[in-house]
Amino acid sequence: MNLISVGLAVVAAAALVGATAGALAQARTRPLVAGAATAVVGLGGVLAGVAALGGQTWSLTIANLLPLAETTFAVDALSGAFLVLIGAVAITAGIYSVGYTSPGGAHATDEDDAAPGHDEVVAHDGVDAHDDVPGPAKAAASRTAQAVLPLFAAAMLLVPAAASVSTLLVLWELMALTSLVLVLAEHRLRRSVRDAGLWYAGMTHAGLVAIMLGLVVLAAGAGGESFAAMRAGSAGLSPATASCVFLLVFLGFGSKAGMVPLHVWLPRAHPEAPSHVSALMSAAMVTLGVYGIIRVGFDLLGGGDGWWWLVVLAVGAVSALYGVLQASVAADLKRLLAYSTTENVGLMLIGIGAAGVFAAEGNRVLAGLLLAAAVLHAVNHAAFKALLFFGAGSVLRSTGLRDLDRLGGLVSRMPVTTALFAVGALGAAGLPAGNGFVSEWLLLQGLIHSVTGATAPSVVVALSMPLAVAVVALTAGLGVATFVKAFGVGFLARPRSVAATGATESPLSMRVGMGLAAAACTVLALAPAVAGAPLGRLLDVLPSVRGGAPLARSDVSLRLAGIAGSMSPLLIVVGLLVAALGAAALVRRVTRGAPRRATPVWGGGSTRLSPRMEYTATSFAEPLTRVFDDVLRPEKDIDVTPFAESEFLIASISYRQRVPDRVEARLYPPLLAAVGRWGQWSRGIANGSVHRYLAYGFIGLLVVLVVVGITS
Amino acid sequence: MSVLGKIIRTGRVAEPALPVPPVAGAAGAAGVRPAAPGPLAGSVQLRHIDAGSCNGCELEIGSAFGPVYDAERYGLRLVASPRHADALLVTGPVTRNMADPLRAVFDATPNPKRVVAVGDCAMNCGVFAGGHGVEGAVGDIVPVDVEIPGCPPTPEALIAALRGLTGR
Repeated sequence: MNLISVGLAVVAAAALVGATAGALAQARTRPLVAGAATAVVGLGGVLAGVAALGGQTWSLTIANLLPLAETTFAVDALSGAFLVLIGAVAITAGIYSVGYTSPGGAHATDEDDAAPGHDEVVAHDGVDAHDDVPGPAKAAASRTAQAVLPLFAAAMLLVPAAASVSTLLVLWELMALTSLVLVLAEHRLRRSVRDAGLWYAGMTHAGLVAIMLGLVVLAAGAGGESFAAMRAGSAGLSPATASCVFLLVFLGFGSKAGMVPLHVWLPRAHPEAPSHVSALMSAAMVTLGVYGIIRVGFDLLGGGDGWWWLVVLAVGAVSALYGVLQASVAADLKRLLAYSTTENVGLMLIGIGAAGVFAAEGNRVLAGLLLAAAVLHAVNHAAFKALLFFGAGSVLRSTGLRDLDRLGGLVSRMPVTTALFAVGALGAAGLPAGNGFVSEWLLLQGLIHSVTGATAPSVVVALSMPLAVAVVALTAGLGVATFVKAFGVGFLARPRSVAATGATESPLSMRVGMGLAAAACTVLALAPAVAGAPLGRLLDVLPSVRGGAPLARSDVSLRLAGIAGSMSPLLIVVGLLVAALGAAALVRRVTRGAPRRATPVWGGGSTRLSPRMEYTATSFAEPLTRVFDDVLRPEKDIDVTPFAESEFLIASISYRQRVPDRVEARLYPPLLAAVGRWGQWSRGIANGSVHRYLAYGFIGLLVVLVVVGITS
Repeated sequence: MSVLGKIIRTGRVAEPALPVPPVAGAAGAAGVRPAAPGPLAGSVQLRHIDAGSCNGCELEIGSAFGPVYDAERYGLRLVASPRHADALLVTGPVTRNMADPLRAVFDATPNPKRVVAVGDCAMNCGVFAGGHGVEGAVGDIVPVDVEIPGCPPTPEALIAALRGLTGR
């Protein structure tokens, strides 16, 4: 009996017990029961994942659980990495949810009825338009939401363990449905939640259909629906069929991963879901899309053609840039984080795409390095994004606000949350001493070394990789601006609204959840070399990159094998600390004994400084909005209202800026209109008569039988 | 290209540089009371405060820092905040509304600092002396180090006095 089976048994048992207990428990104990069950589910997942990354494998086939198919599970190192990732997020989210769903707090109020899907900034001259009225938060603690939470975590954990098409699809659908229920938890409070639920349901099911079509074609061509049979049979597929399968599966998993242009549900569902659910979805569920692309592309299809991966690379580049641009101008904190998820998925897809290109060319060293960078970035992203969503949730619970323009001053009111959010923001900004830096560095190393190798690069590589480097660099730069804004405007300076003034620190369990996530960020940032051996084992699972162990073993530094390059995050941090302390000591020494004089803050001659004079998120992002005007196309309205006596005496000026999602505005209305017309047309056929439906069934059966009779 | 052509055609319009003014105490020519170069020698950052001027002095200051007189070649520079400044260039009689801001600007300027009263109004309220909104001369509000008479003082007089601060 190995550890993987123990871990997954814990996952299944804790999920069932937790769901039952969550459904039966009293309202008072429900947060504790559901949160603890979710944390135990996550613990089981981490246990199984660590064992799998340590080199164990495990498989299980249950004959009669699903009709007409066997239920098959198999766990290898690739599954293990995602088991650890999801399990760790589930542990922190479970602990965090205990406090988040407990009574008290100002989140889940009716306040934000802005048009869904747009950032809206309203600056009124005069009185703040709506001061927030804190209300009780019961929606996220409802019986349904609490009972479904452990189930959602367990469904996510079992997806990477699935080893047949039917098992994968059933678990994928279970994951989609449970997450949909959780997204809709606050549907009574805000209309935008219902809207978000509809978009999410539509996108996730469209994705499911694409995955199902792709995998069914693959299973039919390979002669079996278990992953082992598909692995063996995929070589016999014609290139056209294989390409078709890959593109369908890429679209399906990509819609879950939130790549552009299928990202439209992210900025809706992530802000509207309760924050621990946002964290689970954004940090863990989204990476399952990445897992699916790696599993099918590299494992089941065995690598495939170079052009598949160029498509992945291009989509990744567009996602990274578009995501970070939208994030840099977003004023809603959770919406900003949702777009940042699109950005990070884009970076992962750049790594995966470039790895696929090199694998197709036979360059295993670079392919292994880039794929390792992508998986490591998924892990890093999970750590910091969970932490950031927890931080945003703490702010939301305490103030009822997600709007950065009305936050501020939290550093003295919520010191722990502020410090932990800073750790996450550092990781997300991709700067040294943050964990995002490590994987972005690896990604850049892989991309840069592609054109400096001993052999001359092919034309495709020579053209695409420098562009990818430029995209990653621009993304990293804008990412810094985004998170300077999120942290500086949201947490520092003086509060900009009454609700932010009344903020108080979060309950202990929320701080513990955030602290665990911050600890994970710190470990990943300072000692990424621990991931070297597990990543090597992960790559050995995939036939086209096998043997290209990218990271050499070393203690404090991260050394690349095969190409020259090493970096020690720990030494960088030590160096930064020494430099900072040295500069502080020098300043003290130089200024010692010099006369000191305290004067008020210089306010340009004015003596009354008010929070209205501070930078807001919108004003901070204004230069970016201007520079990227052609891409973002912000909509601005200025209304000047004069007094009745004279048009030259101004009573008030109202300025409104919205940054709509242009991809969505251009792409989706025609598509939705077409779907709507199709629905209208099918209404004529489906008129509610049972006899007619029976006839349809009969005719359908006859057609299938005739087709089968002719073709076989 | 037309800009470059214009630059080449116009050439240098600045007046020839005058010799370094005599050191403090020794001079006093034309009623200018120059200051010792002191701790600010070499380069002086100036913040200009209009404490109630008729804008005559402002025109002359603008002219002194324009291309013809080009005060920047003597180490003088106008800055946008008293936090960046070494010396304050105050014009006009100090009106009631500007008395407190002037004190605040003086407080906000880091030590060591100098205050330059520009024009007759700044020195002794000039024609506005006894006016209903006038609080007093600049010297009544903050300590003055350099005085530049004239209504308004010419750019030459301004530059000569300010060169006493830089010593260049």
